[in-house]
Amino acid sequence: MSSRGATAVLSRASRIRSKLQTALEATVLEVDDVSYQHAGHAAVKGSSDKETHFNLNIVSPKFEGQSLVKRHRLIYDLLADELQSGLHALSIVAKTPHETNPSE
Amino acid sequence: MATSLSNVFLKGIAARSLSRPLNGLFYCTRYSNTVSNDSDTHDDFKPGNKLEGSGICLSNVIEQDVKDNPVMVYMKGVPDFPQCGFSSLAVRVLKHYDVPISARNILEDPELKNAVKAFSNWPTFPQIFIKGEFIGGSDIILNMHQTGELKEKLKDITSKQ
Repeated sequence: MSSRGATAVLSRASRIRSKLQTALEATVLEVDDVSYQHAGHAAVKGSSDKETHFNLNIVSPKFEGQSLVKRHRLIYDLLADELQSGLHALSIVAKTPHETNPSE
Repeated sequence: MATSLSNVFLKGIAARSLSRPLNGLFYCTRYSNTVSNDSDTHDDFKPGNKLEGSGICLSNVIEQDVKDNPVMVYMKGVPDFPQCGFSSLAVRVLKHYDVPISARNILEDPELKNAVKAFSNWPTFPQIFIKGEFIGGSDIILNMHQTGELKEKLKDITSKQ
């Protein structure tokens, strides 16, 4: 199977996943499409985009020593193209490996 | 010249709407940036870059907002009627505290929406500023509420009149 065919049908969810995984070396990376919860609300009404809202749960060593604002900014920067092309909102949980498992 | 005049004009509007006692809530005042393209107008009297001018005005408004209002929220809808789950969550969190919440509805003004995004370098709404500092969106405000950080941050803000 050629990668060309695969790219064409790649969903936003998988693009988000691969962009974040590559850059953040995440040990946990959950990408949940929750667009259905927001279908028809004021801001996305009339939009043809189906994948607009995601919940992200990310554990990455790259968040070490970074404030929440900086962690979120990092994620927004990585997903800038998606935000330009119809991704509307993200709900983000961003933790360091240390914060999820303080005993280690 | 045209730019600085419109700045003064806009500041006047902003100040007025801010001083109105609306239970800590006010709405963005709409204004017009349109100017006639009258060919008779001498070059000296033509405005400079219209877009640039309006951008500067709006960022002034935002700067003033976050300076004058200890808790400033740019949101979808208004605090008593949010039009998005995230904006609703942010307001609900802030309402736990006895502080005045000032807000602007970015759904009413696409230009303001873009200006706020550029101002904070943050792509989504709501956006919360406390004492002039950019705090973040609903996830962050909820997290700060849960950790007690928000209580600490809001403690020296005087309660509602």
